[in-house]
Amino acid sequence: MIDGIGETGTTLLHRLPAGGKLAGLAIVATLLFFVSNPALLAAALPFGAAAMLATGRPPAVLLHQIAVPAITIALVGLADLLLVDAETALVVVLRLAALLAFAVAVTLTTTSAELADTFERALAPFDRAGLVDAPRAALTLTLAIRFVPLVGQEIAAIREAQAVRGLAANPVALAVPLIVRILVRAERVAEAIDARGFPPPRPDRSRSPTSPMGGAPSPSQMPGDLHDHP
Amino acid sequence: MERGCLTLVRPLPKQSPPLLTRGRREVEMSPSEPPDDRRATNDRPMVAQTIVFSEVDVVREGRSALEAVSLTLAEHRIGIVGLNGSGKSTLLKAIVGLVRPTGGRITVDGRDAIAEARAVRATTGFLFQDPDNQIVFPIVAEDLAFGLKNHGFDRRETAARVAAALDRLGIGGFAKRRIHELSGGEKQLVALAGVLALGPKTVLFDEPTSQLDLRNRNRLEDVLRVMPEQAIVVAHDLELLADFDRVIVMEAGRVVADDRPARALAVYRERAA
Repeated sequence: MIDGIGETGTTLLHRLPAGGKLAGLAIVATLLFFVSNPALLAAALPFGAAAMLATGRPPAVLLHQIAVPAITIALVGLADLLLVDAETALVVVLRLAALLAFAVAVTLTTTSAELADTFERALAPFDRAGLVDAPRAALTLTLAIRFVPLVGQEIAAIREAQAVRGLAANPVALAVPLIVRILVRAERVAEAIDARGFPPPRPDRSRSPTSPMGGAPSPSQMPGDLHDHP
Repeated sequence: MERGCLTLVRPLPKQSPPLLTRGRREVEMSPSEPPDDRRATNDRPMVAQTIVFSEVDVVREGRSALEAVSLTLAEHRIGIVGLNGSGKSTLLKAIVGLVRPTGGRITVDGRDAIAEARAVRATTGFLFQDPDNQIVFPIVAEDLAFGLKNHGFDRRETAARVAAALDRLGIGGFAKRRIHELSGGEKQLVALAGVLALGPKTVLFDEPTSQLDLRNRNRLEDVLRVMPEQAIVVAHDLELLADFDRVIVMEAGRVVADDRPARALAVYRERAA
């Protein structure tokens, strides 16, 4: 599955600015959405594959990245085949497959911090207009990336515990404790994020912090607390 | 036997010898462990804040979690023990405003823990029991940078502080590691590095060894022994607190003993039996 954790590297794709890569991906996605000719969509696939290879990652890593999304695409295609027709299914599968390849190339060459920064900058105008809280939106993106592997661990732990108690695999029996665990973790993560000083000071309050011990900003430099903790 | 607002004023303990000169470390260091733990014994001056609880009550979900707690915490290393549900973690969280008192007041070097929570958190770090709840970014260096960004540090200063904090704990090689590939002990060290990178005067530890194996538990003990920052540690691991300056025993939201470790822990063992 796409774990969303890009690494720093030296390839051309790594050196491109994250904003440019995301904008390029958005354009490609838009174009793919408007194309419904199977031959044209099929022609996009080699470019997508080339983009993935340009990340410099070994083929095994690339296959790992696309495995789960590929199954999902296959299921979507199967549903279209059964409910609509073969041509629609082919178009949908080719479109999503090409998009997946380009998305993996961007994801593998962009760190989560770069993604979050880019996201925050892109939302800055909306933030200034009071429509969106850009730091919170960027943090949400980061948390989604960070906690995907942990949800997998939670599922494995629940399945193990249930298997030991003789319970066969059962989606409902898995879902209930999983949701409870996720909610409990969400509360604890929120607490930890608060303790780490989130949200950052607004730009108009920024300063270059110094302290007598070369440490954290002195109290007089800190803005008042903006949170109300129940 | 609650001691109320009495402040213990004692000389700070002498610096321990460098970690690698102690026999236990020599035995337990594995070849894969970076051998530069001794940086934690740097020559920074020891620092401490004065944390004052004045008749603090906390009621959570209809239950009294803290009841009329009055304490002055000014020593360098303070342990807090008690049975589950005795109010230890609540007391710790209240210091940084994560829990709001329903009565009384808490100040940290004169700053109100609620009204000035941001300023308090800038000088008071918090290490949670489960590092997976504390680490937000999927790459080590990115996660350390998160806390610094929240406190307004610029990119250059952030990079320097991230490197220094990792080096200090002997995990300088971890900067580009993925969090989900680290062991529990390594994650705990990364979380601690994230706290120390901010240059806090005080670090609050909530059962920091509960998920660690013996090697990592000993490693954390070594860090605690030599860190110049004030440390307030909630623990069930009583051995960890043996050479602290002061240990507080909590029971049903109240302080029932507050003394030197040997005497306080004896009280705790007796009451817990």
